[in-house]
Amino acid sequence: MIGVISYLVFFATVASILSIAVLGLNLQWGNTGLFNGGVVAFFGAGAYGTLLLGSASQDGLLGGFGLPYLLALFGGMMIAGIVAWIVGLLTLRLRHDYLAIATFGVAVAFENLVRNADLLGGAQGIRGFERPLRDTFGNGFTYNLLFFVFVLILLVLTYVFLERLIASPFGRLLRAIREDETAAQSLGKSPSRVRLTAFIAGSVIMGLAGGLYATFYAFISPQDVLPILTFQIWAMLIVGGAGNNKGAVMGTFLIWAAWTASGWALSRFAPLEVQLYTGSIQFVLIGFVIVGMLLWRPQGLFPEKLVVSQSAKTGG
Amino acid sequence: MNGLKTSALAIGAALAFASFGTEAAAQECTTKIGAVLPTSVDWGKPIAATAQYAVDLANEAGGVAGCEIEMVLRDTQVDPKVGVDAAKALVDLDGVQLLLGAVSSGVSMPILTSVTVPAGVMQMSCCSSSTAFTALSEEGKTNGLFYRTFATSGVQAAVGAMVARDEGYESVAVFYKNDDWGQDIGGLVAKDLEALGIEVTASIAINDAQASYRAEVTEALKGNPQAIYMALYPKEGTQVVREWISLGGTQEMIAANALKSDEFKENVGMQFLGNFTGTDTASPRTDSASAFVDAYTTRFDGPPNGPGLANSYDATMIALLAIHAAGEGATGADIAAKIGSVTDPDGTPVSADAEGFAAAKEVLDGGGTVSYQGATGNVLFDANGDVSAPAVTWVFSESGIDEKQYISLTEVNDFMASMQ
Repeated sequence: MIGVISYLVFFATVASILSIAVLGLNLQWGNTGLFNGGVVAFFGAGAYGTLLLGSASQDGLLGGFGLPYLLALFGGMMIAGIVAWIVGLLTLRLRHDYLAIATFGVAVAFENLVRNADLLGGAQGIRGFERPLRDTFGNGFTYNLLFFVFVLILLVLTYVFLERLIASPFGRLLRAIREDETAAQSLGKSPSRVRLTAFIAGSVIMGLAGGLYATFYAFISPQDVLPILTFQIWAMLIVGGAGNNKGAVMGTFLIWAAWTASGWALSRFAPLEVQLYTGSIQFVLIGFVIVGMLLWRPQGLFPEKLVVSQSAKTGG
Repeated sequence: MNGLKTSALAIGAALAFASFGTEAAAQECTTKIGAVLPTSVDWGKPIAATAQYAVDLANEAGGVAGCEIEMVLRDTQVDPKVGVDAAKALVDLDGVQLLLGAVSSGVSMPILTSVTVPAGVMQMSCCSSSTAFTALSEEGKTNGLFYRTFATSGVQAAVGAMVARDEGYESVAVFYKNDDWGQDIGGLVAKDLEALGIEVTASIAINDAQASYRAEVTEALKGNPQAIYMALYPKEGTQVVREWISLGGTQEMIAANALKSDEFKENVGMQFLGNFTGTDTASPRTDSASAFVDAYTTRFDGPPNGPGLANSYDATMIALLAIHAAGEGATGADIAAKIGSVTDPDGTPVSADAEGFAAAKEVLDGGGTVSYQGATGNVLFDANGDVSAPAVTWVFSESGIDEKQYISLTEVNDFMASMQ
């Protein structure tokens, strides 16, 4: 029984961390219409930033500042924000698919940078990070539970922040830009500035997710920032429902559960002779879920609730 | 690809047979062990099938510590998140005390730091070669729970340099796969070559899945090297060699064991591989190694011509013997502590088949120690759970892959020491 709980805590931790990244993407795509195809670059910047700032010094590695954990995590978010600011200045004049291609390129460049820069750990990645408060709580279940609570608090904070943000006049402005940029401009708004703000804010949130991810595994390597992660995060948002924060979180839990449970179920119930093929079968199943979703419910499980203004919302 | 498909089918069929065999010899209890391997990747399937094969043999020999072994296999998709989750599920939900895997160091490492070490589960990797594991162990962060049967890249790099010296090459260009394994071995071989006074004209990283490597190949051609060294996998290796030869590069080639595959040979063409020499750490000239090749050939309708197969077999066998030595209800730490009594050079030598397994169990039950003579020779772990190994060089021939020269463990160690 304790095993099941321990696994569920572990699963929920990873899913919560990914949820934070999906919420960041939801701000960019769901609310502002920015097609970020390079989620991993910002996720990775947060992850690498956190480990470099927070770990003790190692031979031939940049950083090793040994900052207190929360400061390191915050630093990781800032680094993600700075990367987003630079990328945003360069690419945000691009629209839709062009922006997607440009940001995808940024993500590939990021992966190649960390893979080749020995100062950033190279292909071997950064290991040997001491998880915060490990000495106090040991290494086992208690620690994982407390870390989950920590992640959950951050997820709730992010969620509440974003909910309030999109309910605010600024949130309306984001949607106005998403729907019709020229119209927004004619009302005296500056779409390019707002787009940049939303892009950076979303990327900082992804950086937070990356920092938590690297902390949880006490390790990060270029293998963690492959384009597949961008794809996974997008799949979670699309299935959950772009534009709806609840959908973003539910979509993450659902897709990640499908991703892991299908592997578990196949390993348990598939006959021995197809055991070797379960990996491939799993990919097919996941593909089916996503394609099916796009065909039959393209707006996602929890579609965006469009209201003209908060005051016009009818009770309930 | 057709050949690959048939061999995969053969493996599937062999597994199906295996299931009938084990059911017949069913024990009263079952011990679960976990395996996290990249079964969704072509070359990962045979590695998993080989591990399952070793488990079947152990069950044939009456099981382990009185119980039948059930290997629960999970796919890593070569994705760290997925691999770690699979490992965590195996440890928490199935309660395994032994985890086999993973293949990529980038997957094995987070499993080690966030799953197996915190849970006190022993992890045995067949194929992770990164030197980072050695460093982590030296820092005392593995708690002695990590072992691997894949020699660190140092041995192969040294032998690669030795081949270049013996062939009389004066300049060599190095191509390496741009991952942890490739960067490791590429850097080491360049250092070794220079230590032998051989000029390294270029060290070129090869990224996965590019449509063409013309730019990389052209870069290497500039230095006009007498030979090339390749630490590449069959997919990129094929592409690089094709472009290299079509642009007029030399056919003098040295390669690490990852290219030891029929797929590579068929796709490049034998006529270009006459001066190709490969290195490997994994098939020493011992009776136990050839016994493995024979047994494998019988079981899977073909010789073990893929990376990591012998290592996967030994990893599984040694771990199972250690479980037996540790007795019923052993924890990961108990099992890890028994590795030494299974691979004791002064112990009773035992072979790596069902009879050997049964014999080993008897010796261990009597409180003795055994020296496991495996598919990769008499495996011996150092304090960090690393193995050194004798080496072989091999060549491609019309009929398959032939061993060229056997370099014993002593020769390897002496040669490596001479370069220091």
